[in-house]
Amino acid sequence: MNNTAVATSEFSRVFRFVLQELKPRGKWLTPFNVISIPVILAGLVILYFRFVYGLGSVTNLNQYYPLGIWIGFDVVTGVALAGGAYVITFVVYVMRMEKYHSIVRVTVLNGLLAYIFYAGALTLDLGRPWHIINPVIGNSFGYNSVLFLVSWHFLLYMITMAVEFSPVVAEWAKLEKVRKFLTRLTLGAVIFGITLSILHQSGLGALFLMAKPKIHPLWYSEFIPILFFVSSIYAGLSMIVFEGTISHKVFKNLIGGHDGHQYEEIILGLAKGAAITMFVYYFFQALLFVHEKRWELITDFWGYWYLLEVIGLVLIPCCMFAYAVRHRKIGLIKVASVLALLGIVLNRLNVTVIAFRWYDVSKYYPSWEEIVVTLMVVFTEIWVFRWIVTRMPVFEKK
Amino acid sequence: MDRRQFFVTSATAGAAVLGIKRSHAASEKEKQEFVGVLCDTTRCIGCRSCEVACSVTNGNYVPDVKNDNALEKVRDTSDKQYTVVNRFKTAKGEVFVKRQCMHCWQAACVAMCLVNAMHKNKEGPVTWDGDKCLGCRFCMVSCPFDIPKAEYHSWNPRIMKCTMCYERLQAGKKPACVEACPTDTLMFGPKRELMEIARHRVYSHPDKYVRKIYGEHEAGGTGWLYLSAVPFEQLGFRTDLGTSPYPEYTKQFLVSVPLILFGVPALLLGLHELSDRKEELKAGEWAKPEAENE
Amino acid sequence: MEFYTYVNIFEQKGLEYLLLLSFLALFIFLVKYLSGTGKNAPVPGEKSSTAARARKR
Repeated sequence: MNNTAVATSEFSRVFRFVLQELKPRGKWLTPFNVISIPVILAGLVILYFRFVYGLGSVTNLNQYYPLGIWIGFDVVTGVALAGGAYVITFVVYVMRMEKYHSIVRVTVLNGLLAYIFYAGALTLDLGRPWHIINPVIGNSFGYNSVLFLVSWHFLLYMITMAVEFSPVVAEWAKLEKVRKFLTRLTLGAVIFGITLSILHQSGLGALFLMAKPKIHPLWYSEFIPILFFVSSIYAGLSMIVFEGTISHKVFKNLIGGHDGHQYEEIILGLAKGAAITMFVYYFFQALLFVHEKRWELITDFWGYWYLLEVIGLVLIPCCMFAYAVRHRKIGLIKVASVLALLGIVLNRLNVTVIAFRWYDVSKYYPSWEEIVVTLMVVFTEIWVFRWIVTRMPVFEKK
Repeated sequence: MDRRQFFVTSATAGAAVLGIKRSHAASEKEKQEFVGVLCDTTRCIGCRSCEVACSVTNGNYVPDVKNDNALEKVRDTSDKQYTVVNRFKTAKGEVFVKRQCMHCWQAACVAMCLVNAMHKNKEGPVTWDGDKCLGCRFCMVSCPFDIPKAEYHSWNPRIMKCTMCYERLQAGKKPACVEACPTDTLMFGPKRELMEIARHRVYSHPDKYVRKIYGEHEAGGTGWLYLSAVPFEQLGFRTDLGTSPYPEYTKQFLVSVPLILFGVPALLLGLHELSDRKEELKAGEWAKPEAENE
Repeated sequence: MEFYTYVNIFEQKGLEYLLLLSFLALFIFLVKYLSGTGKNAPVPGEKSSTAARARKR
């Protein structure tokens, strides 16, 4: 009796608290808002047309390019860039390197939001999104499909990341008992999450294994899954550096108490990890180059395009990372991370869109509507991210 | 009883029990033998009766064969038509080629579908189930022949492709295109028999046909087979598809999934235990200054 | 038409092993390079951190 009353009052307190927190804070007319609000509104209008008149009314998709940038950029690239969450949780919770503990929360939050929004963008691209529950409820399990695996892993990984992040939410809502309980789940969630990540990062590559005759031989190999997995590690690390740079500018007041030296050490450590992973990735590419006799293919446009990606945006940033770590140049690390991220974006787009049906005369180009919706997804994610970090204890230590 | 005798006896007894089942399964298999269609392009006159019959049967757009001059350019199947006939000008004159789903033995679209909306029926046809389909269009990505077509201008898009007239097959009839063909270009039957006929034609008229039966091994073997007088590349066929069934390309990955799902957590837990000692050593470096900060 | 000839899919294997060996050597170099410090950089971070700690104390 008494218990119920306590629970009810607790519940109503949390409810009122959440309502109060939902109100916006701070100035409205920031440059970011001025740009993002019209884009989001335009995106919603476009989505109305997309759902009423079909994908063809707003996208440039056709029978030969069934996947556009909604899949190629939002999902395939977005998920690769969200790889930081599993790398950092591995380092902190499995290897117990306390040095990186202060960036765990924000990285996991970024990963969680990236999955919700970028993998969520998948539903925009599905022809019949109301059937999205079919692979889960068991009326039609396609065990033989890589996509079946990837979709399950997306779902499970979102849940595990929510569990990893949930102590922060509980702390924000001042639910101490719940927080303690949720904290105990963290290690299990982390281990499960890393395993799922390994599989679906590589699985995204495996989706294209059967498109063998359609992907340019410089990008197709039976080892796409391994390449996707390894590159997702340094993609995640570079993304942490990149996001951290922006966050430190934008949310200065929130991170204020941060020990500058400690943060520098973190960046250097991440760069070291990125340099080594990129070197390994470059070795895989070199090995494939030899194994598949790719020198026969590098004399035309596609060859130069490939060299730009593999040397210009993998090997060079790798050397930049190494040089910057050795000479403790934080600025250079930031430049290298941007280059590495560009390399990832280019690689994923090459596999999914650019080098896909390279022999085709009429290539696919994204329509402006597709670009607006993509920007809408990114901006909405940043809105939610901003809402959460200004309210929940994301940047504070532990 | 020595060991050898034991084996012999038990094997005989086992065979006696299993024997009934074995022969039963074999006869079942015979009944379920995959069917296909043999298309002899040397016989086709480009009348496009098959296009009309197909569209009428499946309720699709019926082309105006007499007036639309569609043979002028090379077309592809679309979300409105399951099959089209194309004209190619070759060294041996005009050649007409019908194009539709090849009904692969081990179809890439079926292996890729995460909800079994694409289904390989035991009779051979590959069909699509709209109640399951998500519209992810990965069947279109994986199909080596670019056959599945999506209705992009519908709020509820279907995936459109030849069904080998599955409903007609169940009623004991031939596919509509085969029935409509006036020149015996198309021949319907079990692939085993069609292969024999095709080989017989190639061997008995070596000057008339190229010595290849398209579909015998392409992408692991397909339900539709083609004979031609000119090399198949000249007729819009891709001859670089390889002979392995397309699902094989994802086999290694799918096999490794359970291994990783079990092995990696075990490895990670082990690493976690091992790193215990490390933390004690590191405690002096990192934990202390922070405690002081707080 | 179809030819039946021997295709050696491991033709490049020797080259691959050479590549492996050279990359292993490079990798050792990279790790050593990363864990060392530059000649002219006097590790400014370490100094400032000890200074910061000293100040706090």
